[in-house]
Amino acid sequence: MQALAIPDAENLHARRPRLWGWVLLAPLVAWLVAFVVVPMVILFGYSFCTRDDLGRVVFSFTLENYGRVFDPIYLRILGRSIGFAAVTTVLCVAIGYPVAWYIARQPERIRDKLLLLVMIPFWTSFLIRTYAWIAILKNEGLLNGMLQYVGLISAPLPLLYTPAAVLIGLVYAYLPFMILPIYGSAEKLDNALVEAAHDLGAGPMRAFSEVIIPLTWPGITAGMLLVFVPAIGMFAITDLMGGAQVPMIGNVIQNQFFRARNAPFGAALGVVFTLMFVLAYALVHRRASRTR
Amino acid sequence: MSTRIVRSLVGAFLALTFSLAASAASKELNLFAWSEYVPQSVLDGFTKSTGIKVNYETFASGEEMLAKLLAGGTAYDLIQPPDYIAEALIKNKLLVPLDYKKLPRFKNLLPAFLKMPHDPEQKYTIPYMASTVGIVVNSERVKEPVTGIKDLFSPKYKGRIVTVDDGRELVTAALYVLGYPLNDINAKNLKEARPLLAQWIKLIKLFDSDSPKTALLNGDVDLGYVWGGEAALLWNENKKFIYVLPKEGAHQFVDVLAVPKGAKNSDAAHAFIDYLLRPEVSKIISDEFPYTNPNGEARKLLSPEQLANPASYPKDTRKLDTFRHLGDSGAMIDELITDLKNAK
Amino acid sequence: MSAMIEVRGVTKRFGDFTAVDRVDLHVAEGEFLTLLGPSGCGKTTLLRMLSGFETPTEGTLVIGGEDVTHLAPYRRNVNQVFQSYALFPHMTVEENIGFGLRMQKVPAEEAARRIAEVIDLVALKGFEQRKPHQLSGGQRQRVALARAIVPRPKVLLLDEPLSALDAKLRQQMQLELKRLQKHLGMTFVFVTHDQEEALTMSDRIAVFNRGRIEQIGSATEIYHKPCTAFVADFIGEANLLDAELVSRNGTTGRIRVEGGLELTLALSQWPQDHSRALVSIRPEKVLVSKSRIEAENVFQATVREELFQGVLDRLHLETGAGTRLTAVVANESAILEAIHAGDQVWCGLHVDDLIVVRPA
Repeated sequence: MQALAIPDAENLHARRPRLWGWVLLAPLVAWLVAFVVVPMVILFGYSFCTRDDLGRVVFSFTLENYGRVFDPIYLRILGRSIGFAAVTTVLCVAIGYPVAWYIARQPERIRDKLLLLVMIPFWTSFLIRTYAWIAILKNEGLLNGMLQYVGLISAPLPLLYTPAAVLIGLVYAYLPFMILPIYGSAEKLDNALVEAAHDLGAGPMRAFSEVIIPLTWPGITAGMLLVFVPAIGMFAITDLMGGAQVPMIGNVIQNQFFRARNAPFGAALGVVFTLMFVLAYALVHRRASRTR
Repeated sequence: MSTRIVRSLVGAFLALTFSLAASAASKELNLFAWSEYVPQSVLDGFTKSTGIKVNYETFASGEEMLAKLLAGGTAYDLIQPPDYIAEALIKNKLLVPLDYKKLPRFKNLLPAFLKMPHDPEQKYTIPYMASTVGIVVNSERVKEPVTGIKDLFSPKYKGRIVTVDDGRELVTAALYVLGYPLNDINAKNLKEARPLLAQWIKLIKLFDSDSPKTALLNGDVDLGYVWGGEAALLWNENKKFIYVLPKEGAHQFVDVLAVPKGAKNSDAAHAFIDYLLRPEVSKIISDEFPYTNPNGEARKLLSPEQLANPASYPKDTRKLDTFRHLGDSGAMIDELITDLKNAK
Repeated sequence: MSAMIEVRGVTKRFGDFTAVDRVDLHVAEGEFLTLLGPSGCGKTTLLRMLSGFETPTEGTLVIGGEDVTHLAPYRRNVNQVFQSYALFPHMTVEENIGFGLRMQKVPAEEAARRIAEVIDLVALKGFEQRKPHQLSGGQRQRVALARAIVPRPKVLLLDEPLSALDAKLRQQMQLELKRLQKHLGMTFVFVTHDQEEALTMSDRIAVFNRGRIEQIGSATEIYHKPCTAFVADFIGEANLLDAELVSRNGTTGRIRVEGGLELTLALSQWPQDHSRALVSIRPEKVLVSKSRIEAENVFQATVREELFQGVLDRLHLETGAGTRLTAVVANESAILEAIHAGDQVWCGLHVDDLIVVRPA
């Protein structure tokens, strides 16, 4: 018995995009240039400038802004933001994975309905949903009222304006971004593979760790990126649910533009921040492609 | 903060759409003002009586206003900056002197609100509304008297205080306690203020500039260091919310009306200012937004109830100061507060 | 040989649908048993109950003397080769094959030896480090097989494992599978809908229809002595004719089939107290010639249609009385005798080639 020749997949698809391809791509390219490339270039340019008395950007060349970025104050804020984002990501995986898996294993009609339920919150403004959480968590809110009514607590628990409230807000806001990509890979996972693992003696835990996790890993990493990256920069939730007590990097950057009127410093923070994202993405992506 | 940003973005978008749609320049006024500060009925009344359409574009902070004004996207005819921003604009020659011949109702204004430090010659600005920053106490929950900043930031109120999310206001409070003038922002004074602020920030449960009254109403906090307007609304809601001007001193702020350089319709701007100075119009504003009304004639039309609101018309105005334009020292405040919050 | 598998009165219902209906079955140790039937007949459901992926609604399953009716699949000493192979795409050939050993915590050294052995056995040497997507269909099939046999299960379950292969490769694999099973002495339960596959490989075949076993027996039994019309028709081909017993004569009887043709058959199989029955005649048992034929039953017929089918010629015949029969003859005899449509031919049938079957 001899091996069949495996056609080289690379060669089949290595054709260059023709002119027509570029024409079709043009709107996307134009969009990217106008709304991604140009703003990034402006931001990069600003980051070397200074500001005048009124907060106007004065064109010059200074590295002072970058010097300030690496001040321990901002590094600590960045560290905390990453910490919150990391905990949010872990919680989203822990909560989102079982949900996504459950949905993916349902018959198609039920599946579509459950997916709709996951997506329904997107129909409402993010701020309104956050205010709903405030109504739930406040001292005289739904949760405290219920707990007091049941008699579990005698005085309201301080829930709102705590780090826990920030985490609740973050997990709530980003959970769908975890569920959907994991669902995407879980739904594609052939059930026969899970059966094969069981058949070969893997109990539920082993089948999960040896087969299900590795095969849904692309979904997990996509979800982690979709949650982790925006969670670092989130500022509205820390303001509204955390009482703006503890600054996150997103709050700091936003402040530079809207309050401190120091666009060059805000730009420098933004540039460093973006570079870190790119780096993190590259790392995760490399890991993901290696396991594939 | 963010609600305001969203609201003002929506406002900006609408304003842009409208300004593109209409073209008759002389029949239009591009107004750039705080969100939720000019009642719709006033705008409608002005249009009715003059035929001039008002494009009301909003901002959520003086700094945001400054940013948009300097960006120069729209030619605003009339802006509504806070006093210290107006001062900066005057210094940088970005405002046009007012033509008082077109403002016959200027005489309605109380002298206390004229020739203030931001515009000592009263050349460029007309006061719109004023207010203070003071202490609100839920008297049902707090029994001890709270008369000053030191009383407010007492360890026994840990986790029960809301303050505006504004570094300069907090620094001002510290300078009052230390006995320094509130506009003396320098490295030495900030260094002295630092331990005080560090202690306070540990006590504060919530920083909220947008709607500090919400947490008080919800019962999440019992004391506040908030805008007088917010306190006035709380008092209207429930008389248990007592407003106190701190005995150490209080920041008074005045929002003014001014015509920026490059305004296309200065006549309409003047007409609008004068319209706002009408006592009956000014009363409508007070009815909707209970700030301190600088219009003497309008005050005569207010109800005793309105005048009794301690947050709108504080009885005891011991020591009131206004902010001056800071320039670069603003960055020091920002860094200090960020650092202190960070250490929490 | 003792029974490796005992299926006792097993029923499986999915809602209103009864997939498997009161099935009893014994499989001997080392036996190659095939479950054969059309799709939806219940054979796969029975296999999935043996592997543990489905639990019987009623009845008992015993494997190797142990009641496994409610035992989880990962606690059963049986392995399955999946129709889709279900190879783990993120593992190499070696890792796939070693998966079961790893789950059993077999020491690394022994595992490596056994993996190497089985890789030899299925001729996959040199492919150890490939991922499944880098293999051909036949190679994947062999990886799936190796993975399932390396833990040395008591029973190997095979769910249409050859259906994805092309015809040539399938025939080759049939022989290999059979050889492997003999070599290992392992009990195989093989599910297929392909009768040829079943006839080639099996020690015994269980023919499934509508959730029940219609007949179970060796390939020759099933082929030559089908009990039911369904079996006769599903395995190979059959002329199924309604028949009426006309007269008895010692061990033989005279019957009249539909269309009026009269034939003689062995009376022993005729059902007691019945005057009518269904008779099955294999097309290849119908002897056809231009000259007179020696047989117990001889009659003349007209060739209505002649279909050339390579080695064989298929003839559609009609007797003078109007009875229609299909015959299959070796192609060369048809050529030798120049049998064509429209010709008058002599037909012959031996008594033993008339089989009475139960109607479906």
